[in-house]
Amino acid sequence: MFRLQGSKVLAVEMTGDAVKAKNGAMVAYDGQMAFKKMSGGGEGIRGMVTRRLTGESMEVMEVKGHGTCYFADRASEINLVRLNGEKLYVEASNLLATDPGLRTGTTFTGLRGASQGNGLFTTTVEGVGQAAITSDGPAIVLRVSAGMPLQVDPGAYVAHTGNLQQHFQTGISWRTVMGEGSGESFQIRFEGEGLVYVQPSERNTIGGQL
Amino acid sequence: MTAMAGGPVIHDPHTLPVDDNVNPYAFSVELKGQWFLQKGKMIAYYGQIDFHGIGHGRLDRLVATNFHSPLHAADWVVAEGQGKLLLADRAYDVNSFDLENGNLTIRSGNLLAFQPGLALKQSIIPGFLTLIGTGKFVAASNGAVHFVEPPIRVDPQALVGWADCPSPCHHYDHGYMRGVLGGLRALTGIGGTSGEEHQFEFVGAGQVLLQSTEVLMPETATGGVPASAGPGVPGAGVPGAPGGQQGQVPRLPGQLGDLQRRFGL
Repeated sequence: MFRLQGSKVLAVEMTGDAVKAKNGAMVAYDGQMAFKKMSGGGEGIRGMVTRRLTGESMEVMEVKGHGTCYFADRASEINLVRLNGEKLYVEASNLLATDPGLRTGTTFTGLRGASQGNGLFTTTVEGVGQAAITSDGPAIVLRVSAGMPLQVDPGAYVAHTGNLQQHFQTGISWRTVMGEGSGESFQIRFEGEGLVYVQPSERNTIGGQL
Repeated sequence: MTAMAGGPVIHDPHTLPVDDNVNPYAFSVELKGQWFLQKGKMIAYYGQIDFHGIGHGRLDRLVATNFHSPLHAADWVVAEGQGKLLLADRAYDVNSFDLENGNLTIRSGNLLAFQPGLALKQSIIPGFLTLIGTGKFVAASNGAVHFVEPPIRVDPQALVGWADCPSPCHHYDHGYMRGVLGGLRALTGIGGTSGEEHQFEFVGAGQVLLQSTEVLMPETATGGVPASAGPGVPGAGVPGAPGGQQGQVPRLPGQLGDLQRRFGL
């Protein structure tokens, strides 16, 4: 149902069902569509309160109808992720659209979120179906498995799936204090089994200069 | 890159290319030993890798033989260890180049990484760095890189670097300033200019590297010469010289990379 039109436009064929998409991301449609703003990420009162409390705000609309709807977000690259019951962790700002079969929620990420300047919470997507995530430049998918941990720069991290433990790793020493920092002092270390999506670009992060 | 049916390509340390591009925007280095990296260009890595700031310490000898640009020391690190390292820069095109006993001069903001077989030196053209020796380096460009051969005149903003040929000189078209109207235009700016009156001119044998836009990547203004450099060194002691650092804040005497830059001042 989700299909990429080029690499920066998502085309969704719809036959009466509904998808959730980032508010305002529709660029064109044919057929009959209805757009409905959903408060609190479409997660009900509880979700609304959680999102307000956690600051992981997500402006979402529900698109329902027959035909093809096209979505895009500031010409960023779009990556399709197929979920079969596993959980996708993604920043709300990078989530473009989700299938009706997927539920979204919020979860605590701890220091990693703080290091990205994205707050302490992140968005989760669960269920069976497809999700579209955006990235600055095409995302690279890296596998993590036992004995093969991966370190990622917080600014390049986009999303991950699977059963992964995250550790926040710092290389700060007296040299950083002396101004001889390496610029790569903060990393997220992923261990376990899963996939990590990184983008070939770095957001500005609090730890970026150290 | 081949796309598997029903999903994106999934990389792991064994399938990541060895010293080659993962896609046009990311480069995978197989690290066995040391590489010099510009700060903040590492996006992810597998394996055991340490990052050391350039300064005094264990890597003194390496830095002494391969790094001759005190002004840029605050922007560079040495990656040391074993593993696969992914490099990228603001989703710009990334390319690797091999030098064999050669020399190449490149805009300082465009150089991402190089092997220690190469020595990095500050070019006498402000804002450019020269690599001398044998080895691989990785550079970013806004759009694909084009190679052209001298004699050629290029737009200053489109220039990424040049190899083997002599350093360029400025070329001005003064035709637009001729006559009364032209003189008025030059004095007042009214009437406008095409913006193409100034070029860099290359002569001799070699290669010139151009990027496909005139949009420069933001870079820290470096490439000036230390104020302590004596007379006869181009750019020395000129207030507000390119690099533009002298004259604003008095610089503290530093060793490698002066102290204020290290703290982002």
